[in-house]
Amino acid sequence: MIKDAYDQTISSFTVRIERQDGPGSPSYWETFDVTYESDMNVISVLQRIAAMSETATGEKTTPVAWSCGCLEEVCGSCTMVINGKVRQSCSALVDNLLDGTDQELVLQPMSKFPVVRDLVVDRQRIFRSLQRVEAWVPVDTYYDMGPGPKVSRAQQEINYPLSECMSCGCCMEACPQYTKVEVVRADGESDADYDKRVNEAYDTQFIGPQAISQAMLFNSHPTGAQIAEERLELLSGPGGVQVCGNAQNCVTVCPKEIPLTTSIARAGRAVTVHKFKKWFGKS
Amino acid sequence: MTQEMSFFERHEFMIRRLHSLSGLIPVGAFMVVHLMANASINNGTESYQKIVYQIHSLGPAVLVVEWLFIFLPIIFHALLGFVFIFQGRSNVSKYPYQANYRYVAQRVTGMIAFFFILWHVLQMNGVIHADWFRETIADPIGLAQFRPYNAASTAAKALQNPIVSGLYAIGILACVFHFANGLWTMGITWGVWVSPKAQKMASHICLGVGAIIAVIGLSALVGFYKVDIDKAEARELEMYEQGIKSGTILADPHKLIDSQRADQENH
Repeated sequence: MIKDAYDQTISSFTVRIERQDGPGSPSYWETFDVTYESDMNVISVLQRIAAMSETATGEKTTPVAWSCGCLEEVCGSCTMVINGKVRQSCSALVDNLLDGTDQELVLQPMSKFPVVRDLVVDRQRIFRSLQRVEAWVPVDTYYDMGPGPKVSRAQQEINYPLSECMSCGCCMEACPQYTKVEVVRADGESDADYDKRVNEAYDTQFIGPQAISQAMLFNSHPTGAQIAEERLELLSGPGGVQVCGNAQNCVTVCPKEIPLTTSIARAGRAVTVHKFKKWFGKS
Repeated sequence: MTQEMSFFERHEFMIRRLHSLSGLIPVGAFMVVHLMANASINNGTESYQKIVYQIHSLGPAVLVVEWLFIFLPIIFHALLGFVFIFQGRSNVSKYPYQANYRYVAQRVTGMIAFFFILWHVLQMNGVIHADWFRETIADPIGLAQFRPYNAASTAAKALQNPIVSGLYAIGILACVFHFANGLWTMGITWGVWVSPKAQKMASHICLGVGAIIAVIGLSALVGFYKVDIDKAEARELEMYEQGIKSGTILADPHKLIDSQRADQENH
């Protein structure tokens, strides 16, 4: 309905983009005029901008860099801050964004991750968090272990929503307890040395809602649960579930509507029980 | 993790859980009892004085209880709270959601509560009870105004100024919000209420608990404002003399106001 209104009223709109040439370099703003077409999403806007490579004042500029993959909100790679809110740019439709009086689009990279270039950020910390809580099913054997245990229908209903997580970063971007960690590469530092330093820096910082939820998912998986206690120990390590400040932004911004705060409370309960067992002995 | 971790990092879980627990036991629990005891002023001077007598029947152990279960836990909770506040970055302007506002409010009320309690303890209790401190520092600048054996009259006198009672009202409301909202977040932290439905219900209950405690806390302010100070002082002296005679209270003229103390010491 909004689209129809704009069809008749606007021929172009403004896009302001927070750009950055590389890791550690200063950010700056550029404004672009984009010709309006119906049914555009932010990705198609970025495609037009790349094709023009010209700012609103007519100066030539480098194409704005962004990353995207699936274009159907299941891969998470095109996550950015659009008009102040974190979301996927593929499912951000221009017709919905240009509502009311504001005929401007503001695009920024996520603020909690190191910028690679323009709107592309390094999401390594998200995947490192999954490693930190061992968010997988352990199957380290060559032997055929036979079919795994059955998962009840009721348990499937709980697990499925958690399995929809695409590690996009929205929950961490919106979390006031999750703060940016950026490790600058030293001159002549090898990839291995740099990665080691980066991981060390990440490993004492908050793991974020996504990793907590994934730990709960794999603790509910009958085979994954074989290392449930190990995961709970990791979950209560430095930067673990205890860092949560209950602002509950994660669950509100999650594009997959994953019950993240439920996972966090489940993790809180599981860790409470785990610690009591550990300190006072299993009976 | 090959890097050396700090003490805080190695024990972060334990430290944060102790911080969470200390908010309820003993700090929050003490606050509720304290506000209820204050509210007894609405039953009259005698009622309030009797509760203070009961507390002071511990004699010198009052100091131990004060430090072990009240001052030290509050200091522990507050100092860690400040550390945690500066570890987060609030973002309500970008994400103006209800729980996010409460995240900020929890931190703001925590800071208000800290400075309020600091002022309140110095103003009323004074912390150091030695005579030299009272005479040279406390009395001239208006600290240590509360006298346990003139409980109603001295508390009322300290709260006669409407600016003071106004600041007390703000302080009490900040403490109560911090307690009620903290109770709710604590239930999530420890995993008591897990599902969104349970969390919602718990937030209503915490709101109700907070509202009741706020009314109790503020009612005491009204009660103290209405005390007839001269009458209360006279009644307190009567209660003191009779209490000593019957042996129901410990004689300690230091816990009386100066005019009555001198008389008692001359006896």
